[in-house]
Amino acid sequence: MHSTTNNTFKGEQPSAVHSRKLHPDADIQFDRSWFHNLQERVDRNGPWDDWSMYQLAVEAQQTKLIGSFDDLQCLRSLPAFEPMQHQISTARRVLHEMSGRAILADEVGLGKTIEAGLVLKEYMVRGLVRRALILVPASLVLQWVRELNQKFGISAIAQKKEHTWQYDVVVASIDTAKRDPHRPILLGTDYDIIIIDEAHKLKNKKTTNYQFVNQLRKKYCLLLTATPVQNDLDELYNLITLLKPGQLGGQSDFAANFVVDKRVPKNEDQLQQALSTVMIRNRRGDGGIQFTKRIVKNIEMSLSPEEQALYDAVTSFVRERYDESGGDLSSMLSLVTLQREVCSSRDAVFLTLVNMFKKTSEDSPVRAKIWQLVEVIKGIQANSKAEKTMELVREMNEKVIIFTEYRATQEYLLQYLKSNNIVAVPYRGGMNRGKKDWMMDLFRGRAQVLIATEAGGEGINLQFCHHIINFDLPWNPMRVEQRIGRVHRLGQTSDVKIYNLCTLGTIEEHIVGLLHEKINLFELVIGELDHILERFEKKDGSIEQKLARAMLEAGNSSELRKRIDDLGESISRVKEEVEAEEPLIDVSVMDSVMNAVVGQTVEVRP
Amino acid sequence: MNEKQVHKFVQRYLESTGCRIIEKSPSHFHVKLSPRADRDLTNRPFYWSFVDRTGADPETMSMLLITDKVKYDAANASHQSSGSFGGSSASAPASSALPGTIGTAQGGSMAEAAAAALGRSLGHVHGSLNTSSRIPKEELHYGSRKLEQLFESARCGGSYVCLFQEPDKRGTHPFHSTPYTAWLGVNMKIEFACDMKREEFHSFGVSLTTGQCAEGFHERLLKLRLTPRLPPNVHIAKNAVTLNKAVTIIEGTIERRLRSYDFRWAELAAARLQDELATINHYYDPLLESAEEENRPAIQEQYERRQNEIRWQYEPRITVSAMNCGIFYLQGIG
Repeated sequence: MHSTTNNTFKGEQPSAVHSRKLHPDADIQFDRSWFHNLQERVDRNGPWDDWSMYQLAVEAQQTKLIGSFDDLQCLRSLPAFEPMQHQISTARRVLHEMSGRAILADEVGLGKTIEAGLVLKEYMVRGLVRRALILVPASLVLQWVRELNQKFGISAIAQKKEHTWQYDVVVASIDTAKRDPHRPILLGTDYDIIIIDEAHKLKNKKTTNYQFVNQLRKKYCLLLTATPVQNDLDELYNLITLLKPGQLGGQSDFAANFVVDKRVPKNEDQLQQALSTVMIRNRRGDGGIQFTKRIVKNIEMSLSPEEQALYDAVTSFVRERYDESGGDLSSMLSLVTLQREVCSSRDAVFLTLVNMFKKTSEDSPVRAKIWQLVEVIKGIQANSKAEKTMELVREMNEKVIIFTEYRATQEYLLQYLKSNNIVAVPYRGGMNRGKKDWMMDLFRGRAQVLIATEAGGEGINLQFCHHIINFDLPWNPMRVEQRIGRVHRLGQTSDVKIYNLCTLGTIEEHIVGLLHEKINLFELVIGELDHILERFEKKDGSIEQKLARAMLEAGNSSELRKRIDDLGESISRVKEEVEAEEPLIDVSVMDSVMNAVVGQTVEVRP
Repeated sequence: MNEKQVHKFVQRYLESTGCRIIEKSPSHFHVKLSPRADRDLTNRPFYWSFVDRTGADPETMSMLLITDKVKYDAANASHQSSGSFGGSSASAPASSALPGTIGTAQGGSMAEAAAAALGRSLGHVHGSLNTSSRIPKEELHYGSRKLEQLFESARCGGSYVCLFQEPDKRGTHPFHSTPYTAWLGVNMKIEFACDMKREEFHSFGVSLTTGQCAEGFHERLLKLRLTPRLPPNVHIAKNAVTLNKAVTIIEGTIERRLRSYDFRWAELAAARLQDELATINHYYDPLLESAEEENRPAIQEQYERRQNEIRWQYEPRITVSAMNCGIFYLQGIG
């Protein structure tokens, strides 16, 4: 199983290796494949290569020679990219002190990906790694591929088909990898290195993901997570067991030596010591500038009488259909959408109505009602929100991203801004990579406005812009956070201004109230929202669904308000729970254990 | 390799492979590739297999190879700005009549700023669209993929040689024959690997007449003029040593050399290896003991897999392989 990239001489024949003992600890192997090839040419008198190419070949090989065991060779091959100091020292420690098996547990935003990339690149440059497998959540696959290619010049491939696995560096989602037909292929491969992002998802020994990763054959292994301990110490133990079984002793030793209660460690000093041999955790400096501020502004406005008329008409239409259906939520999706779209633009509503019209049978009385709504739409001449947006864009006179949920609204805004002589470019999930990059470049350059329908986890980094307008808001708080996260991240030097457009007297007003005031979404510590939502959804189902139900079922506006308030209350409760728990492990003992020895503090100065 | 060295390397590569240099500066080459270079550099295996099968005349690609991006961009910017200044003066002859350095400087900096802004907004893609023909633009810095391809191409095209030393012109008597000796020359890479790795380069030459082994052989060759053709008035000394024997001599020399090396790295790696084995032993032993009979084989298997991984990761080993080699006929009896 132990062949790596060592010898890449033309026409290599593995059988031509002669091995001898040179030292009690080291064999010497002579690869003689070259000799057979030479002999063949001597016998046939050719073909012979050029003297000049021969010299060039030697020069090329000499340049690539690895002179010492412990310098960081990869840096000289990455002239376009300058990693931060803590990233370099982390890579060094992984390479030289941890022999390539480590948990990278930096706090969010300090560049774990970069650290892993440096380690990977160094091993590749040294010829110690050829085959690498990178397992990440599906939403991060493309981002990883891009980073490895662009920053590190590593030809990484996103796994798509079965045959993709034969490439040297493959990025895949763990959920795909563990399933047939992929599973046996991966289990049958010797990977020089395996990198797992968001590794805290492997905290539970009993999950199929954990067992799958445990079965993979690997030489080096990096686990990346910002939260190596979320709930109890066993999680940490399980992670380390993936890397180096026995590093914290057997399961019973570990329990006896380090655990008081599953959330409270003991013998912190020894635990620290043991951890620091496999884990590195850099933290953001307490005194340093952390992230810049988020300044949230709700822009309240009233609909024009025509728009209000449409809103009311749609609302009663939606409620009627819901009543007719007898409370079946599953078929109501398009109605919910309609209700939300009416807060965005008439174009969005129109499109949905047309589709709905097409789907309704010809003799249905609903058709006539849909047509009535279309008539109401015709009465609308202007879009109050768009006008307000225009005003904002002119006022700030800087780069700004406008997010909307709807394609039709996006198109409308593009036209509208264009007619007002503002250069805007679109961005949406359906665009291919090249087009996305193209749009990004345009936005970075001469376009003032980017209109995006998707924030996605695809790593669009827009630190050069610090204004966001939420033309309409998603009902899923995570998506709101993703939107903001595109801009509010490491490297952002200004405070980020977030404008939420909010039409009074509509469902939107409630949503903004819920997200902003109740969840205080916009000011949560990064990463915290994850925990809250995860826990909330385990208990109550998704917030989106709850909202949809509340909206459809509430008979009137005050009832709606009450139900949304209730929802807010229960989220607040979960939030308090999460916050109250944290000191038990993270902040107090556990965090101090983890933070004391195993990393450095990074003053993040943007 | 710094930019200068890269530039020189690229130039020699292009010359060696017979590429036609259309335009060059200290920071770039614009070349029409030779078929040979095209095969190695353009990633068009299908095209070339088509050419090979049909015997069609190959159409090779042109490429813009940038060896020093900073300089190239700077040169380009100033070129563009002077170009646009010329353009504006042509369209407005009155302004060109204005005296002065100030005008020029202003025009230059304005155009530069405009070009920079344009570059920023249009980005990489547009830059290449902008040039009249669509030729691929490649940055060749150390570590870049294209340079790596050049390296690889050189390696493949410079593996085995058979060369003769060119005799000194003066003093050669037409009836006098110079004795030549055949040498086996090999450039070796020695890799010292455990969980870490380092490498050394050694060049050996063994006289096939006497069996003497010379180190630093490649450096010696670089001082000579070599040709693939047998020069006139030369006789070659009889080979007393077979190639096989010569290889054994080289390997013996390397072994003797290495025995005097410091092996602490290997000892430390072996110690790490033992440590790691002990650690997992400590984990798996109790696990195996307490396991139910039916689970034991699975745990045992996992244990063995871990042990293998650890050996794979840490085991110290030295590998000797050849970068390239050849037969060299050199003057004199050596």
